[in-house]
Amino acid sequence: MSAPGRIFVSGGHEFKRGGGNDALSDHIVDLADSSHPRICLLPTASGDPEDQIASFRRTFGERDCLPSAVSLFRLATERVDLREHLLAQDAIYVGGGSMVNLIAIWAAHGVGEQLRECLEEGVLVCGQSAGAMCWFEQGVTCSSGAPTAVAGLGLLEGSACVHYHGEPERRHFYLQAVAEGGLKHGIGLDDQTAALFEDGQMVETVSARPTASVWRVAHTEDESADGMTAIEDRLDSRCLVHQAPAADALGADILELRETLAARAATGRSRRTGVGRTGVGRLD
Amino acid sequence: MRQIVAFGGGGFSMESGNPLLDDYVLGLTGTPEPRVCFLPTASGDADHYLVRFYNSFREGTKPSHISLFRRERGVSDTRAHLLSQDLIYVGGGSLLSLLGVWRAHGIDEVLREAWEAGVVLCGLSAGSLCWFSEAVSGYHGEVNRVQALGLLPHSNAVHYSDGDRRAAFHRHLLEGMPGGFAAEDGAALRFVGDELVEVVASRPEARAYRLERRGALVMETRLATRYLGTAAIPAALPESIGRALAA
Repeated sequence: MSAPGRIFVSGGHEFKRGGGNDALSDHIVDLADSSHPRICLLPTASGDPEDQIASFRRTFGERDCLPSAVSLFRLATERVDLREHLLAQDAIYVGGGSMVNLIAIWAAHGVGEQLRECLEEGVLVCGQSAGAMCWFEQGVTCSSGAPTAVAGLGLLEGSACVHYHGEPERRHFYLQAVAEGGLKHGIGLDDQTAALFEDGQMVETVSARPTASVWRVAHTEDESADGMTAIEDRLDSRCLVHQAPAADALGADILELRETLAARAATGRSRRTGVGRTGVGRLD
Repeated sequence: MRQIVAFGGGGFSMESGNPLLDDYVLGLTGTPEPRVCFLPTASGDADHYLVRFYNSFREGTKPSHISLFRRERGVSDTRAHLLSQDLIYVGGGSLLSLLGVWRAHGIDEVLREAWEAGVVLCGLSAGSLCWFSEAVSGYHGEVNRVQALGLLPHSNAVHYSDGDRRAAFHRHLLEGMPGGFAAEDGAALRFVGDELVEVVASRPEARAYRLERRGALVMETRLATRYLGTAAIPAALPESIGRALAA
C-alpha cells in the first residue's frame, strides 16, 4: 500500500515571508534537487484561486525555480496535458483547502493515479494542510466547520492532523478519535513543520518555527484513565533557518543604483551629460 | 411541479446586460420576490463569479449562495437552505469537478429532493449538463460522455454551435448513448417532470435541437423556439418577405 518515492508533508506553510515560511520554501527547493527545479502547484483543494497561484509563483520564482500551476476548474481555457505536465516536474506542490473536495475532484479527474505515477518516476511530491493529509489513509478536516475524520488517498500509512497546536479543536478531536479507535495512529504537524517520507517510511521531521514540532500520536491502554487513551510523543526535528540572501548580485545592483542617484543628486548633473555617464562608470 | 431549465449558455454569466433568461426562470417560480440560491461549485467557488451573481440578482430577489470550498463560513445546514429556496441556480465551469464535489457533500441527493419538492432548478453549461443522465462535455479538451445526476433521463450538450460538440454528440448517439437535447448559447430547455415543454431564447437566432438515433443515422430536429425579447423582424428573413412587410 505504501507509496514509492518521496512525499514531504507540512502542517501549515504559507507562500509568504516570515514566520518560518521562507525556511520551509527553501527546504522544498533543496529537496527538489535540481539547479532550476520545475515545481507545479495543484491548488485544487481551495478551488484554484488566483491569489494563491500568484503567491506560489512569486515564492518559488524568487528561488530560481520554474513554477507553474494546473487548475482542474479552468482546463477549458488553460489547456494542458495534465499527466504529461506533472511527469515533467521536479516537484509537485499540493495546496491547502477542503480535503473532502480535493479527494473528490481528484477521483473525478483520475489525478490520484497520475500522482502515484509521478512518485514512481521520482518526482518529489509536497503539500501543506489538506495537501499534506490527503496522502495518508485518514485526515481531520475542518472545512465543514466542526472537525471530521475524512479518508485520504492512503499512499501513506495511518493518519495525519495539520495545524496541530494552532487549532486546538482539531487537535482535541484527533486525540479523542485516535484514543477511541475512530482514527488510526499517526502524526500531528504544527504550522511550519513538516515530515519527509521515503518509500512510505518517515525519514525526517523539520521545524522552521522555534516552538513548533511534529508529534507522533498513538492509542494505548491506560488502566488509570479507565480505558483507551491517546499518547503524544514530540519528535526531534531538525531546525530549518532561512538564510537571508547576502549582498548578492541583486543587492549590489540596488546599492549601486542608490549610490549613482546620490552622486547625481550631489553634483546636480543630468545623466544625459558626458560627465554623468563617467560618474556611473566610476561607481562600477 | 418538478421543473428544470437547462441553458445552452447565457444568463448573467455570459450575457451581461441581457437578463431575458434569468428573468424567465425567476418568473417560473411564481413568487414576487423569489429566494435564489447560487451554486458556483463548478468554478471552484470563484469570488468574481459570486460578485457577478449578487450584482445581477440583488434587485427583486432574495439571493444567497453555498460555497462547498469554504463551508466554515456561510450557510451551515445546506440541505435546509436548499429546500427553502424558490430557485437553485447552478453556475458553469468543470462538470467533473462539480459532480465530484456534490457527491462528496451529498448535494446530489439534496438537489433531487428540492426538485421533487417544487424548487425550480436551472443552470448554464456545466449547470445544464449536470441534470441529465448523460452529458457530452467538452470542458477538458476531448469531448466525452459523463454520467451526470440523471434527474432527466436524456443526454445533453451545451454551447452547441461548436462543431466538435455536434460531431461528438452524434458519435456518442451512434455508440449507444440515449437520445437527448442540445442547446446553443442563448437557448434554454424547460422541462416539467421528464418532459420538454418549451424552448426559449435570449437571442433571436439561438436554437435548440432534439437528437435521436435511427438505425445507423442520427436524427437532429430543430425545435420551435420562443424568443423572449421584443419580437423584431429577423435579419435572416428572405428579402422578398422583408419587402412585402415594408410595403
